[in-house]
Amino acid sequence: MELARPYPRPDRDTAPFWEAQRHHELRLQRCSGCGMFRFPVTPLCPECRSFDFEWAPCSGRGAIYSYTVVHHQTHPAFAVPYTIVLVELEEGPRLIGQLRGSSDGLVIGARVGVEWDEAPNQSLPVWAIETDLPAAPQVSE
Amino acid sequence: MTTIRNKTAIAGIGQTEFSKDSRRSTLRMALEAILEALADAGLEPRDIDGIVRMSANDDVFEIDLVRALGLPNLRFFAEIPHGGGAACGTVACAAAAVAAGVADVVVTFRSLNERSERRFGESSLGGGLGGWMQYYLPHGLVTPAQWVAIFAQRYLHEYGYTTEEFGRVSVLCRKHAATNTHAMMYERPITMEDHQNSRWISEPLRMLDCTLDTDGACAAVVVSAEKAKTLKSAPVYIAAAAQGTGSRTEMMTSYQRKSLTRLEEAEATARELYRIAEMTPDDIRMVHVYDHFSPLVLTALEAYGFAPPGKAPGLLREGRLELDGSMPMNTHGGHLGEGYLHGFGHIVEAVRQLRGAASNQVPDVMNCLVTSGTGVPTSGLILSKDSY
Repeated sequence: MELARPYPRPDRDTAPFWEAQRHHELRLQRCSGCGMFRFPVTPLCPECRSFDFEWAPCSGRGAIYSYTVVHHQTHPAFAVPYTIVLVELEEGPRLIGQLRGSSDGLVIGARVGVEWDEAPNQSLPVWAIETDLPAAPQVSE
Repeated sequence: MTTIRNKTAIAGIGQTEFSKDSRRSTLRMALEAILEALADAGLEPRDIDGIVRMSANDDVFEIDLVRALGLPNLRFFAEIPHGGGAACGTVACAAAAVAAGVADVVVTFRSLNERSERRFGESSLGGGLGGWMQYYLPHGLVTPAQWVAIFAQRYLHEYGYTTEEFGRVSVLCRKHAATNTHAMMYERPITMEDHQNSRWISEPLRMLDCTLDTDGACAAVVVSAEKAKTLKSAPVYIAAAAQGTGSRTEMMTSYQRKSLTRLEEAEATARELYRIAEMTPDDIRMVHVYDHFSPLVLTALEAYGFAPPGKAPGLLREGRLELDGSMPMNTHGGHLGEGYLHGFGHIVEAVRQLRGAASNQVPDVMNCLVTSGTGVPTSGLILSKDSY
């Protein structure tokens, strides 16, 4: 059975998030009232209840907060093995994405930077270990 | 303020066989389970005036049941979202309706051909995806096991455990299933070695950390405590019933929370249950914990107050959750051993234990805590033999 690789179907709230990524820009909502970055996309700031926000550019840098190495293939579009990382961005929110390259030696806390993958219908952020940087302090607690 | 404590009861339960291939429709199985539950209570189909269903991934609708059972009318019908988080929630909703006088006899059920038809462990979604899925599925994070693996990795990291702690959950459930004639894994226990040798699904989850896929159906009938006393089977009182979401909640991907090793939705549900039942975790004699994936059984035990954060593995190491332990868990084998009816089998088992009629009967069980899905908006019940 043919099963196409999933891609995002933007809605009225999320369209700018995905449009920026088509230009290889990682942008998140930043509240104009209290300055908090937020994700997933939502019209109202859950902190100060302001509707006003900007699509602020992110540094594209963060640290691995958690990860999984997928061994059992469940979707024909994703050949195993591959590694999914949960990246805690410098701006605060955590994003899911694939790790570029091998998972050998992957540890929670490792610093990563964003790169771009031309997936069908949508450019997606992928993450690469910044091996030249010292390990970040634990992001837990 | 008044609560719903012991105002309602489960008066009847029904359950089909659990198998890899039911060879019949989910509607037919739902009807079989519901008729059995009605007979168990000594009620007739015409007595039903309310139905609560689980909305996610279920193709049996209340109007199908109205037609098939020949009901003249339903005056109360509702559905609870978010997959396995809804199981106890259907009973909570039914109890609220009965306590409020909106309905007298409310049926709740779950019916699935999850093994022979659509398997949940396999992704079936492609193309353009909206809603919450747009953030995860395009990257290849496509199944529940993968969503849960992100939480499980964090648990190992923060507390310094190995996957053997997950294995203890699977071994315990399979041990209980091995002596439950109704279980898919009857007479098929596993060892820790089996667990550690089972293949990776999505690290740190192995195959033996993951639920079975099951065909089958369960049902329960909820009535007022007064009515239950007049019916055929001994009432099992609903001492407490509650739902919870926690903060910043998503459908299995609540990755923005401060901690990924705490189950906020379960902690919130626990607070409500203990408040309504006027109990503490120390009062609970038996637990039936939702076990679609073994790691979240540990965090659920912590969320419901049976161990401090990070300490649930001690409960298993000390044997406290065994049949002869201080608080037996998943005496039927749970999803990992009996079968996966999205938490409904746990409710049925709790009723059986409180009636003294379970396969692995534990003596003198006075109450059971039943929990529903983890990592999703959830629900729970405290069921009691007495209406204290």
